[in-house]
Amino acid sequence: MSLTAGSRPDGTRPPAAVEEPTAAVAAATVKESVTRRAGKAGKVPFRVRWRRDRTLILMTLPVILLLLLFNYVPLLGNVVAFQDYDPYVSSNGITAIFHSPWVGVEQFSRMLDDPLFWSATKNTIVLFVLQLVLFFPIPIALALVINSVIRPRVRAVAQAILYLPHFFSWVLVVTVFQQILGGAGIIAQTLEKHGWSGFDLMTDADLFKFLVIGQAVWKDAGWGIIVFLAALSAVSTDLYEAAAMDGAGRWRRMWHVTLPALRPVIALLLVLRVGDALSVGFEQFLLQRWAVGAGASEVLDTYVWNVGIQNGDFSYAAAVGLVKGVIGVCLVLGANKVAHLLGEQGVYKK
Amino acid sequence: MSLNTTLIRSLKAPARPVWEEPPSKAGLIAKSGFLALCCLGVLGPLWIVIVTSLSPKPVIDRVGGLVVIPQGITFVNYTELLSGGQVSRAIMVSVGVTLFGTLFSMTVSVLAAYGLSRPGSLGHRFFLMVMMATMFFGAGLIPTYLLVQSLGLTDTYLSLILPSAVSVFNILVLRAFFMGISPELTESARIDGASDLRILLTIIMPLSRAVLAVISLFYAVGYWSAWFNASIYLTDQQMMPLQNVLIQLVQKNTEAPTGLSYAVRTGQLSSLGLQMAVMVLALIPVAVASPFVQRHFKKGMLTGAIKG
Amino acid sequence: MTPNAASAGPSRRSFLASTAVATAAVAGGMPLLTACGGSDSGKREGATSGKAADKLLPTYVASTIAKPDLPSKNGSSAGYTSKVDLATLATSVPKKLGTGAPLKVMSPFWGTPPKPGCAYYTALDATVGTKITWQNQDGNTYGEKLGAVLASSSIPDMVVVPGWELVGKISNAVTAKFMDLGPYLAGDKVKKYPNLAAIPSDSWRMSIFGGALRGIPMPAAPASFITPYYRKDIFDKRGYTVPKSADEFLSWAKEATSAKAKVWACGDMRWSSAGIFGVLPSGTLGWNIEDDGKLTNRIEHPEYLESLEWVRKLFAAGVVHPDDKANTGDPGQRFTAGQVLVYNGNGADWWGKTVEQAQSNPDFQIEGMDYFGADGGNPTLYAAQPAGIWSMIRKGASKETVENALAAANFAAAPYGTKERMFVEYGVEGTHYTVKDGVPVKNERGIQEVNSAWALLAAPAPFTAHPDFPEIARKQVEWQQRQGAFMKKTSTYGMNIVEPTRYATLSSQFEQLEIDFVRGHKKLSDVQQAISTWKSSGGDKLRDWYKQLLDKNGSGN
Repeated sequence: MSLTAGSRPDGTRPPAAVEEPTAAVAAATVKESVTRRAGKAGKVPFRVRWRRDRTLILMTLPVILLLLLFNYVPLLGNVVAFQDYDPYVSSNGITAIFHSPWVGVEQFSRMLDDPLFWSATKNTIVLFVLQLVLFFPIPIALALVINSVIRPRVRAVAQAILYLPHFFSWVLVVTVFQQILGGAGIIAQTLEKHGWSGFDLMTDADLFKFLVIGQAVWKDAGWGIIVFLAALSAVSTDLYEAAAMDGAGRWRRMWHVTLPALRPVIALLLVLRVGDALSVGFEQFLLQRWAVGAGASEVLDTYVWNVGIQNGDFSYAAAVGLVKGVIGVCLVLGANKVAHLLGEQGVYKK
Repeated sequence: MSLNTTLIRSLKAPARPVWEEPPSKAGLIAKSGFLALCCLGVLGPLWIVIVTSLSPKPVIDRVGGLVVIPQGITFVNYTELLSGGQVSRAIMVSVGVTLFGTLFSMTVSVLAAYGLSRPGSLGHRFFLMVMMATMFFGAGLIPTYLLVQSLGLTDTYLSLILPSAVSVFNILVLRAFFMGISPELTESARIDGASDLRILLTIIMPLSRAVLAVISLFYAVGYWSAWFNASIYLTDQQMMPLQNVLIQLVQKNTEAPTGLSYAVRTGQLSSLGLQMAVMVLALIPVAVASPFVQRHFKKGMLTGAIKG
Repeated sequence: MTPNAASAGPSRRSFLASTAVATAAVAGGMPLLTACGGSDSGKREGATSGKAADKLLPTYVASTIAKPDLPSKNGSSAGYTSKVDLATLATSVPKKLGTGAPLKVMSPFWGTPPKPGCAYYTALDATVGTKITWQNQDGNTYGEKLGAVLASSSIPDMVVVPGWELVGKISNAVTAKFMDLGPYLAGDKVKKYPNLAAIPSDSWRMSIFGGALRGIPMPAAPASFITPYYRKDIFDKRGYTVPKSADEFLSWAKEATSAKAKVWACGDMRWSSAGIFGVLPSGTLGWNIEDDGKLTNRIEHPEYLESLEWVRKLFAAGVVHPDDKANTGDPGQRFTAGQVLVYNGNGADWWGKTVEQAQSNPDFQIEGMDYFGADGGNPTLYAAQPAGIWSMIRKGASKETVENALAAANFAAAPYGTKERMFVEYGVEGTHYTVKDGVPVKNERGIQEVNSAWALLAAPAPFTAHPDFPEIARKQVEWQQRQGAFMKKTSTYGMNIVEPTRYATLSSQFEQLEIDFVRGHKKLSDVQQAISTWKSSGGDKLRDWYKQLLDKNGSGN
């Protein structure tokens, strides 16, 4: 089969001939292909598996070695979470571990006793849920809209423009928002001229949650579409054609062809996002801390920064990091399980 | 073929397939209205940034912040930023690190993504777990620094690549796309005696051009915009990549009697204008790279590659 | 792409950093607020002062070169306002002290560092007899870099350590990693380095870490207070008179604010308010033995809450610029744009803003407002620590390395009116600057190469001199002398104190609490609650600790 046919002048590619059944069958095949290989594992003897899969292992090895060296080795340093670690008591930071006093779970109980920790956790969870509901679907919707645009030039231009804000720093995003929505901003000045005063969206602690989501949407929603566009670009036109032949209209085709094509990617990203639930942003919140107060803006990552890192308290920072990690692992395992129950593959197979 | 002619031709010939019904007027209006609104939402602030970067200092001073309505134009911020060997050398460094870094990251990532794309293979689940755990547990700065230092990587460009070469997220996305490729395609090749490497190179990768482009872009953007590692691992300022140099050039709190900040201090330039010029410069590589990536996004170009 | 990604808004810490460079660059002299640091022998925490400290200090030999036009008074810096004859500059380092052996120096740097081997560095090396490999590290991430480098086993020979980076465990590193300079500098030994000998003893006393002299200080004037700046040109034009009490300020502010015209009376006035109400400084300086003999902390005084209440009133009245409320952008820029008429800044802004606006806005006039007491009477201002940045030499450095490092510091500490000072601040005549009407003006190359790296190694006794705007130097010093008349020292003045780390986080929440309270995000009861929590969860124990310390060392005031 020829998959490498050259580009046409208009940049599109000729559909290659592949024996692909109709849309209805296509949707069903995912599950099949996933389950097909499962269950084999236990029955095949190790030697056979080794011979069968050694190339695969060899291919995986470079990444594993890199991670072992640059992630796992320094991760051992996290034992200081159970110490009152002072990196300078000895000739270097590693030997200092052996000279620092062990304090058991003191750092952890310190954390659990700190009301600031709990308010940061509460903010983080609320923001995560809001992000999930208000942010996550937007890139998908945007991708669908862009994908449905036929003129390649319009698509290209729209995409290129929507990417751009991702490359703005948070400092700039906050400054620009202040310039527009702040108390001395464009809207406030316009209202002032018409006799309305006191407009200031940027220092309103109650609306802050929605403000940060708005900022995140503005900055990153456009960038977020590209994975989905990649997935969509891989959907066979034959499927659409076949569905159209069967009399499926625009919306039905989206429902039965486009969305199913996106499902594995959406599920993967969703599972990973849930696993990362305790990270809702850092710089964005640090920058707006004064504007709305720590009560509204403190999230776990800024908390670690303010209490641990800023004060040079390495043990405390490590302890909070460990707790965050354990929760993250639990969440991702849970989310993956839910994905399985819903018939999705998630990150890994059971 | 140049991209320009592609765009022009594609404009002349809307590629609506025969089976697709012509768009309804209302739908078209709603859709284009929505997209236009989104783009305006981006372009408005971008306008403010660009105008500020082009405004002379007295205008910025008078406005006391970002400039919305242009009142005079000057390129002095840009010429100031780009003059002097500092920036051009730093661009070479950043381009080099980005190119080699992306190449290296993509090589190991594609291999690993493929190596992990067959559930049930030996060690599959174990390796996945090893990888994923790193997404949740981070090491502190001091142990990481000590490791990089004891490997002799400080003050080398490898310190900007190796410690951050692997993104597990990127590998998982690649893997998901690889796994979505119909197994029938690879199965027949395997029966014909093709090795895994051959299958990866001749079947999987050509079918995954879109996702390969996306992940390359992710890695490249990561390398291009990284600055923290350089500021910690490099001591020789002459090795600094572009981001670090730009940050130093526009430091908000700088009053040091050196370089640009001197020009700022003595009233020749506005620091805000400079910062905005840096922002605009940062967008240029994105604007340049964008069409190259988008080429791989053509609708339905890979028939039957991913099944829904 | 994230320029300034590391910045977290102008907290006290980043403010200190900006102030330090500004002052280092402008004319010696030092930041106004100094962070804590220090220690006592064997144990790292504590302080050494009094008789014990005097034995460790270098002998003070005042410099007789270039008599200032305005000698230091009331804790001010010395002012030089007349033209210096560049042809007859004095020499303070008559012979080359260095041996030319290689020396690695790490220092924070704001801006773009020049190339290694540039004319400025090589010329200085040749004159001083040093061979310095500079590691000019980005000032914004210097704390992280310092923390990591000190934990490694390869520490540069000489390291510039800013006081604001000495937080938590990093303050311990000073005692562990840097050598006792006593054998080279104590008593008369310092006379080998006359410029170091001319550094005031108060500043040297602040350089005692862990019971030994471990730092070469950058001296600071005790009267270098936060300055409430106002736009004199606008005040004159609109016929405003400078307020003389807290209430007057508030009513003036209400009158001057017009959101419609995009003019607000002031920025966040917390720092100035502390001066108006006589609040003790934060950090270790915040402890004082009152007239009744009781040792108390700043947050326990009624003035603390009164001062915050007043700032809260300003915010509530809407006279603070909304961008200052949100803490975005540059307050100085709003000031020069005339959107804000009063803001508090550091001493360097007086000259900095004048130079910046001289060409584009000739009407622009910045002036420091005299402090007034809250009720219109005399204010009470507290002295700043006499040093806040040190250069230190690593333990285990060879004798030759130490002596070369000291030679470099001695050169950098040359007083105003010497060839050496001129060299450090302007480079080589002809190469880096030319003289116009008796005033040195840097050329393109001077702008590129001459930087603050050398100036951070050490500095002479605090002085203020602006050859291009001598009038500003006069105003600045006179302002300091007027305010200095109301200056008091707290009991911990001049002591380099390292609190036990278990108390490190005790007070750290208060800065944020103040910020939140004045903006209306926290209630008065929240602050009161925090104060009583502070007492019960360690504050009272910390008081006992300070009490013991002061009993042992004697009080600093």
